[in-house]
Amino acid sequence: MNKIIFFGGKGGVGKTSCSSAFAYNHANMGEKVLLVSTDPAHSVSDLFNKKIGDRVTKLDYNLFAFEIDAQRESEKYISSIRNNLSKIVSPVILEELKKQLDAASVSPGSHESALFDKMIQLINEESKNYDLIIFDTAPTGHTVRLLTLPEVLGAWINSLMKKRRKSLKLKNMVNNVSRESKDKIEDPILEILERRKATMEKARKIMVDEKQLSFMFVLNAERLPIEETKKAIDVLKKYDIPVNHLVVNKILPENPSDKFWQKKKAQEQNNLARIYEMKINKVYEIPLFPFDIDEVTIKEMAKYF
Amino acid sequence: MGKFKLFMKDLGLFFEGALDLKGKSVGMLQSDIHNTDDEFLILCFADLLGIDIPTSYYALELLPYLEDELEGWQFRMHESKSVWAKKGGQLDMDP
Repeated sequence: MNKIIFFGGKGGVGKTSCSSAFAYNHANMGEKVLLVSTDPAHSVSDLFNKKIGDRVTKLDYNLFAFEIDAQRESEKYISSIRNNLSKIVSPVILEELKKQLDAASVSPGSHESALFDKMIQLINEESKNYDLIIFDTAPTGHTVRLLTLPEVLGAWINSLMKKRRKSLKLKNMVNNVSRESKDKIEDPILEILERRKATMEKARKIMVDEKQLSFMFVLNAERLPIEETKKAIDVLKKYDIPVNHLVVNKILPENPSDKFWQKKKAQEQNNLARIYEMKINKVYEIPLFPFDIDEVTIKEMAKYF
Repeated sequence: MGKFKLFMKDLGLFFEGALDLKGKSVGMLQSDIHNTDDEFLILCFADLLGIDIPTSYYALELLPYLEDELEGWQFRMHESKSVWAKKGGQLDMDP
């Protein structure tokens, strides 16, 4: 079984319920599972009726959860920069730079980057502590961007490091620095870049490894979720990330009596046939339940995984 | 003989001063450093010039070490209207 599983899919198809049930089932089978929610709405807390937040919280035997708070992560990052600044920079310039930092801390791009950073940190640090890490992600586009991030950032960091090294080398030439000290260049900027590069590479290694990471798409047997899933699978294929599992959620009961539901069921059968045409290794079919999924009823749902 | 040696030394000093080879090479190095640093800053903080890049969040942590260069850089970037004029200025027209 893969070590890291991303649950993706269109909004409202039941990603949180399915990922929680999947996690519950695996925890029951004796694996130590960490369920990570990246959704700002934090439905995992609501589902299990327990406050989780941004620390590892035990939900059940072998089942742990963590909710990433993107806003808080970005604030943490920016305040650490602010501290760093006040140690180095004069107060006048500090005021000027603070404006810029404040602008950055409210921009939506920062929250996304902070979220990705935290996800990468969790993958790097927690994958040795758990048998399985499950990410309940926000809708599709998000996750795809996360997977391309190490590549984009890697290229960026490489060119930055190249430029910085060149500049330092030239500066040493101008200052006539002796050869011995030329060889070991110590520079805080290079150190920061090196550190980032190392984290990125580590995460990238895990992510491109077929045995470690896989994707699971949740969808309903309806037209729009099917179309979105098809597109997402195509994109992931480009990055060599396999989608071996689909979860079809909210399947209607057999033989409905009412005419309306008979029609609806026939439509669903058609759509299900289209889902099987995608030739995915394993398709889980989850019925529509007559009750809400919560910390008790999740056992019912977990049986289907 | 002593006089000749002295003359040669003076001659050497004369050409060194007239052509200013050392100053020139240092100047070339410095303009190279300058350009490299400017490129570095563009890669980090292009968003300050209004170019949206996805990496600007990650560049923020370099800010403490770059702030003294930042202001001059921003000014230069906004001022340099013509690439040709800038390149022309860098050419060494001295013999």
